[in-house]
Amino acid sequence: MQQSWLLIVASFCFGLLIAVTNAALSPKIRQNEINKRNRMVTILLPEAKDFILLDEPVEIKSLQGRIEKVEIYKAMSMAGECVGWSFEATGSGFADKIKLVIALDKNFESIAGINVLASNETPGFGDQIKYDYYRGQFKGAPAGELKLVTIGERGKIDSEIVAISGATISSEAVVEIVSNSVTQIKEQMRKKGIIGNDKQ
Amino acid sequence: MTNSNVKTARYWQTLLAGLWRENPTLRLLLGMCPTLAVTAAVKPALTMGCCVIFVLICSNIIVSLMRNLLKPHLRILMFTLTIAAFVTIADLLLKAFQPEMSETLGPYVPLIIVNCIIICRAEACASKNGLVISIIDAVGMGVGFTLTLCVLASIRELLATGAIFEIQILTLAKDGGWFVQWAAMGMPVGAFLTLGLMLGLVNIVTRKKS
Repeated sequence: MQQSWLLIVASFCFGLLIAVTNAALSPKIRQNEINKRNRMVTILLPEAKDFILLDEPVEIKSLQGRIEKVEIYKAMSMAGECVGWSFEATGSGFADKIKLVIALDKNFESIAGINVLASNETPGFGDQIKYDYYRGQFKGAPAGELKLVTIGERGKIDSEIVAISGATISSEAVVEIVSNSVTQIKEQMRKKGIIGNDKQ
Repeated sequence: MTNSNVKTARYWQTLLAGLWRENPTLRLLLGMCPTLAVTAAVKPALTMGCCVIFVLICSNIIVSLMRNLLKPHLRILMFTLTIAAFVTIADLLLKAFQPEMSETLGPYVPLIIVNCIIICRAEACASKNGLVISIIDAVGMGVGFTLTLCVLASIRELLATGAIFEIQILTLAKDGGWFVQWAAMGMPVGAFLTLGLMLGLVNIVTRKKS
């Protein structure tokens, strides 16, 4: 038991040091995360000025079968009107998890756009999921099941997403994450009566 | 030679050892994980280097101060505890002030805890020497590591994207130049190739003439 006191004292001191640093920096770290997400969503929903977290919890079943809680943000315009919705969705990519931010229009009818928050796909191939020519296909696509095709026209906006050549797995992963989260969230939002049942 | 001259000479020797003679990456082959993982571009490599310098200096100071209290059976435990504390602080600082870099580096910042360079310096230098030598050793080793990482990253970034530190140096073929991006250099294979060639070159330069 020689010198155990040193270990105990040192653990306590280092613990305190980390706690103080964490307390001092955590508001800034949290703010950085919020800023980053807002910046990304504002690109997708240019009219949005403010984001309100939806109180009611929404849970979706992920592609791996886990139940995950999703934070849904209501995007408000300068005039205080709802201009869309956004949330984050995660799934397995080729090398690592892919984290997306997805924005939808105010009626959940179509996708306003997607953006990649975090990914680690192969440079030059899979990481093209970040490029406009691939991401752009989601802009305006119907909010429902999407399908990945290998041959098609990228300019045509519909539920068919054309894969990146040489990176089918990454392309497929993004399509699956979007389809899976959007369909489930849409259904739950309708059930809760947050968005309308019929087209207006 | 006077006493103070001997001292100054020893300080210089310690400092220069980390830069070349005992360069952690090129001569001791320590810390290979970040060397291979974060050198796709100069910016993350430099950030990683700065984090390692910070942790190295802090842990060397603490270990040097408590070197007389350390008993052999608690030694490694205390080293790890010290290093882990400072790495966590470095990680928090990076998240707060360099959020984008923190994301790029991902798990490699917490992984500094298991970076052999730091525990090696605690064991080989700080636990046997006074405060001043320990700090100089940490600076030498840290800067040596950072410089090596930056050289490696410059070569890889230049070949993979035609830029260094995100400043375009070679005109790309699609913009009317001659340079065609070599994507493999940005991938792990590029790291192994470049590091291998660098190590070979260093071995040729330092080979003893028999």
